[in-house]
Amino acid sequence: MGLGKSVKQFFDDRFDTKLAAELFTKQAFKRLPPRTGWLHVFGSLSLLLFISQTITGIMLLIYYRPTPEAAHKSIQYITAEVQFGWMYRQIHAWGASVMIMAVIIHMIRTFFMGSYKKPRELTWVTGVILFILTITFGFTGYLLPWNQIAFWATTVGTESANKVPVIGDWLQYFLRGGDAVTGETLSRFFVVHVIILPWALTGVIAVHLFLMRLNNLATLERVDEEVPLKPEHGIPFFPVHVTKEGVVAVLLLAVLVTLAVVYPWEIGEPANPLETPPHIKPEWYFLPSYQLLKYFEGTYGALMGIIGCSVPFVLLLLWPFLDRGKERHPKKRPLAVGFGLFGLLGAMFLGYLGHISETEQTFFGKRYHITLKGWPVPLDDATDEAPPKH
Amino acid sequence: MPNDMNKPPSRRGFLDLILALGTFITTVAVAIPGLMYLWPAAKGGGPDKVEVEGASNMAPGQGKTIQVGSQAVVVVRHRGGFKAYSAVCTHLGCLVKWEQSSKSFLCPCHAAVFDENGKVVSGPPPAPLPEFVVKEIGDKVFVSAA
Ligand code: HEM
Ligand code: FES
Repeated sequence: MGLGKSVKQFFDDRFDTKLAAELFTKQAFKRLPPRTGWLHVFGSLSLLLFISQTITGIMLLIYYRPTPEAAHKSIQYITAEVQFGWMYRQIHAWGASVMIMAVIIHMIRTFFMGSYKKPRELTWVTGVILFILTITFGFTGYLLPWNQIAFWATTVGTESANKVPVIGDWLQYFLRGGDAVTGETLSRFFVVHVIILPWALTGVIAVHLFLMRLNNLATLERVDEEVPLKPEHGIPFFPVHVTKEGVVAVLLLAVLVTLAVVYPWEIGEPANPLETPPHIKPEWYFLPSYQLLKYFEGTYGALMGIIGCSVPFVLLLLWPFLDRGKERHPKKRPLAVGFGLFGLLGAMFLGYLGHISETEQTFFGKRYHITLKGWPVPLDDATDEAPPKH
Repeated sequence: MPNDMNKPPSRRGFLDLILALGTFITTVAVAIPGLMYLWPAAKGGGPDKVEVEGASNMAPGQGKTIQVGSQAVVVVRHRGGFKAYSAVCTHLGCLVKWEQSSKSFLCPCHAAVFDENGKVVSGPPPAPLPEFVVKEIGDKVFVSAA
């Protein structure tokens, strides 16, 4: 008996290997609806990015030190001394943004194709939880290099927590591990970033994928009127869809390495708790909330701002239970599609205002100072640095 | 059902109750120390009363940021003496800077302006900068929380 055979025999004698093999083949060759195509790769792209973040994150952990004295220096050490350290750090930092982008595109796809409708409501809800966890990953990871921008963006970010009614002060104290952002905050964020979130995300991803497989992928047919999929019409997951995902994986690697080389993230100045630098803005995925918060002033305003920033997430979580129409095709759901577009464009517009606020911009050949709230104020020609005159 | 209330509990029901109660008490007993562990311990930072170093060398109109406890505080020397205000902007927690030329505190984050008494002149902050207590003993200057 060859070695392979005796290993097989060992398992056959102890476990129901036939059942295991059946389960495996059933999942690997599962038939997906005939129109499963390139739009359906963003879920697995998000998963790939999570795996990439996990691997690069573990590699960074070998040299990273989570204390105010050592954190910034350890990132410098990773970048300058460790072989290929710069690359893993860049891929991790860029991977964060790309992962959030992938999750958002995946959500947009399932929203407009009505995939969240019965029986897939819970798949959508677990997806929104994944989105929130991914953003939290970004927020906690951002502080870890302990540079000026990260320190002050986190100060401002956690300051918003105390606007939450009743428990706000406690919540802020708890998040920061004290009155201000200190080494205690760094420790807390570190533990959340490298232990709690990775496992939480792993668990929720498992449920999400299980539900996705249980109900198979959605088609554009009306709810409760789906024609059962005939196996001979379906696309086999392996090899057809897996090949598409493989192409996406290779492209992803190319994009990440290119971004890492061409647009490297800076390490920045080490954090200085006694001096706030000018122009602190959060990462792009927080810009819409950042801008929205500016329009609410005073004690009640602050409360309204917190509510205004949470409503979109609550709406997202409850959406499948609010929109109970039977149609899936976007052309037959003008209300839902309009609402979705409004939310999406609104967030992009707010984000853009947040991005250009407190800067000078040129529109149609004229220079403007963009205020905190995003209003353009023409700069009088005297202070203008010679705009192009036609 | 009023009848049920008067019936003595069955042995089975009683055991279920004990089990449920036991599970609950054990969960709470395990959770409380866990939550207390997570609550931030002693407040960090330095002493609550701090001497302003080099105070006697500060010219009138000059300001300086120091740390009192875990808080950043701006000390300004006016003609009549020293004054100290929390440097933490009441809007979203950035640190204000003293501007000697305009006699005001400026916040770099959302361009707020506070006057020399810590009152909001313009910008989004909802409240003035809290004042700190200054004690001048000889040529030494001490700052502490109110
Ligand atoms: C799953 C396991 C993960 C581990 C073990 C991990 C670990 C780390 C470590 C050690 C750092 C500090 C080094 C550095 O700042 O470059 C870091 C930074 C960071 N992480 Fe993660 N991470 C993980 C996943 C993620 C995910 C899923 C995201 C976002 C979607 C993310 C976003 C970030 C960001 C934005 C930074 C700051 C990057 C920088 O400026 O250098 N991480 N992470
Ligand atoms: S934090 Fe000072 S104006 Fe916003």
